[in-house]
Amino acid sequence: MTITQAVRSTATQTPAPKRAGRVRSGTKRAASAYYWMVWPAVIAFAAFHTLPDIVGIFFSFTNYAGYGAWNFVGLSNYLNLFRDDRVLQAYGFSFLFAIVATILTNAFSLAIALGLNAKIKARNFWRGVYFVPYILAILVIGYVFQFFFSNSLPKILAGIPVFADNILTDQTWAWTAIVALAVWQACAFAIIIYLSGLQTIPVEMYEAASLDGASSWRQFRSITFPLIGAFFTINVVLSLKGFLQVFDPIIALTNGGPGTSTESVTLLIFRGGFSGGEFAYQTANAVVFFIVITIVSLFQFRVLQRREADF
Amino acid sequence: MIERTRTTARAAALLAAASLAIGLGGCASSPGDGVTTLNFFQFKGEALEDFGEMIADFEAENPDIRIVQNQVADADTLIRTLLVKDRVPDIITLNANGNFGRLAQAGVFRDFSSEPVLETINPAVQDILADLGSFGEEVNGLGYVNNANGVIYNQTIFDEQGLEVPETWDEFIAVCDALDAAGITPFYGTLADSWTGIPSWNALGAYAAQDGFFDKMREQGENVGPDSEVSFEKNFAETMDQQYALFSYMQEGYRGKTYDDGNAAFANGEVAMLLQGIWATNPIKQVNPDIEMGIFPYPATDDPDDRLLVSGVDVVFTMGKNNPNEEAAMRFIEYAFQKDVIEDFAASQNMVPSVEGAELSDDPALQSVKPFFDDGRITGFIDHQIPPSIPLIPIDQEFLFNGNAQAALAALDNEWRKVAARTIPVTTGEDQ
Repeated sequence: MTITQAVRSTATQTPAPKRAGRVRSGTKRAASAYYWMVWPAVIAFAAFHTLPDIVGIFFSFTNYAGYGAWNFVGLSNYLNLFRDDRVLQAYGFSFLFAIVATILTNAFSLAIALGLNAKIKARNFWRGVYFVPYILAILVIGYVFQFFFSNSLPKILAGIPVFADNILTDQTWAWTAIVALAVWQACAFAIIIYLSGLQTIPVEMYEAASLDGASSWRQFRSITFPLIGAFFTINVVLSLKGFLQVFDPIIALTNGGPGTSTESVTLLIFRGGFSGGEFAYQTANAVVFFIVITIVSLFQFRVLQRREADF
Repeated sequence: MIERTRTTARAAALLAAASLAIGLGGCASSPGDGVTTLNFFQFKGEALEDFGEMIADFEAENPDIRIVQNQVADADTLIRTLLVKDRVPDIITLNANGNFGRLAQAGVFRDFSSEPVLETINPAVQDILADLGSFGEEVNGLGYVNNANGVIYNQTIFDEQGLEVPETWDEFIAVCDALDAAGITPFYGTLADSWTGIPSWNALGAYAAQDGFFDKMREQGENVGPDSEVSFEKNFAETMDQQYALFSYMQEGYRGKTYDDGNAAFANGEVAMLLQGIWATNPIKQVNPDIEMGIFPYPATDDPDDRLLVSGVDVVFTMGKNNPNEEAAMRFIEYAFQKDVIEDFAASQNMVPSVEGAELSDDPALQSVKPFFDDGRITGFIDHQIPPSIPLIPIDQEFLFNGNAQAALAALDNEWRKVAARTIPVTTGEDQ
């Protein structure tokens, strides 16, 4: 029985009409304990998330510098955003980075998850190993990677000019180093999700398929992949959303450089807003970015869910 | 059962209320014995002990004042949040950078123009502060100690090679060539830390920025471009060429090295010079305490008398407007500016004191820049005049990588135009 089936069956069982007369008042309104469980979270969410969001949106219509006096400036922050080539470049970088990193993360982690789901020796050990990157702090790993790219690789691959000259300072290719770090870390969690997906597939299906003479590739294409469709959707949506907001790996590796060639939207918002003193302007940028990410995520859900298999 | 839960809840609520009351009381309590407690906002981590000693000596002389030193990290952000919350510290020290200038322009600091202590300070230092920005004609800060941004050189290597400190641009290049010919790398580049390109840019650009370059830039605002009266493209071409020329004398692999690598390499005598400021001398000495080094200003000119030393006010004293403890705070500031007090502090921090007539420490690096302070031939850091929303450091780093000066200057002008166009000044101060 899958979770969905379990949920469905319990849902139909609950309004059992047995002692309807006496229990009705109880079933109509949930016990107050449930409210006490929900309210703190709602209040905390509103206080620390929704309210600041609204305040931020409010300030995006002003010329507030983060301190001192301010005026309303209407939509000019938003209009200026679209005229700012630095902002457009940051969006270009973020999307390029996010798309490449999402494809690589999902390809690698699906492959690794298939391996970890097979009956290999020391399976739990390997599962543990592949989960380690998720536990490590990305900034710490980032500095290890930075040392690797700027000191080790130039010596190991001294024959290849891009690596010999420290790829992090190469304007054209620095972003690939950031992709490498981000994918390396993101795979850990994606593998876990794929693994749990693979474990929901009944073994009988593969038995039946092999009796029918289906090749492994055919089994993957017709059984595995369709049946983990929901997990694929959630992984792709979460990765793309996470990679669009990339921040820490950039700070650790290139700090947006060389030049502004690896400046993501979040890095630009942080830099321009806090160190740059353009609080309101970058808040407007953040609002636009929020809308963009929401639209992208909703779009992905619609497209990907259409091709998920139900069983 | 229900009864018991209620009592527990009531007890918990009481406890919470009590702890809240204690918490609030703790903030508001003040000793009623006539001692004024001053809150001292101190940004400089390495000066914690020096200020601690200064405060102890001051309190010994002034038993009616108690000073609490709050050494803070990321002072520029914190002071803004304190200002927003209207919890302005009684005494403030800050690094006099562009941020200080903007805060001063916003009119949050006190006016010191009628204070007698102002008379004792080197006017050239106060000019640097005034250039950063102030509220009208006020004096919103008192420069305390200053740094110097020059070329650090290894005196032993210079003596061995029979080289003199260069005083013109041609001499500078000749020194580099001579070192190169002798098999000594002239400079150690550390561009993996992108900011390390900026000290030399500031020093070389200071010459181009004389005669009110930035005032004119601000006037032109969004009309800055190759055809305007002044622009980066028009006035800074030589600066870029000079900087690129210096970076051609770097060691192999200078793109991948960091600031710390550079200090260590210089300390161990691997290179003859560093394009850094006086702040690097302390870390260098930690690696090699016996090194003999000096500092000379970037001679980006043909006339030795035109040389300028770029100096920043490393510590500026100020306080908030309408400070209730103004009198007591002023007494501490006056104490800090006494000659012997500032001399001790500056010597320990390896900085140049602002008070006229105060002696510098015997450190040869400091002594080598002394004449420039005495003659007032100092000028401020030009990057403090550039809005921080312009990505100056990345643009300069990119230029040093690819050598495309025209593109870098056009990018700076473009950013300047955009920032000017989207910066909408606050029209009234009452609209909060």
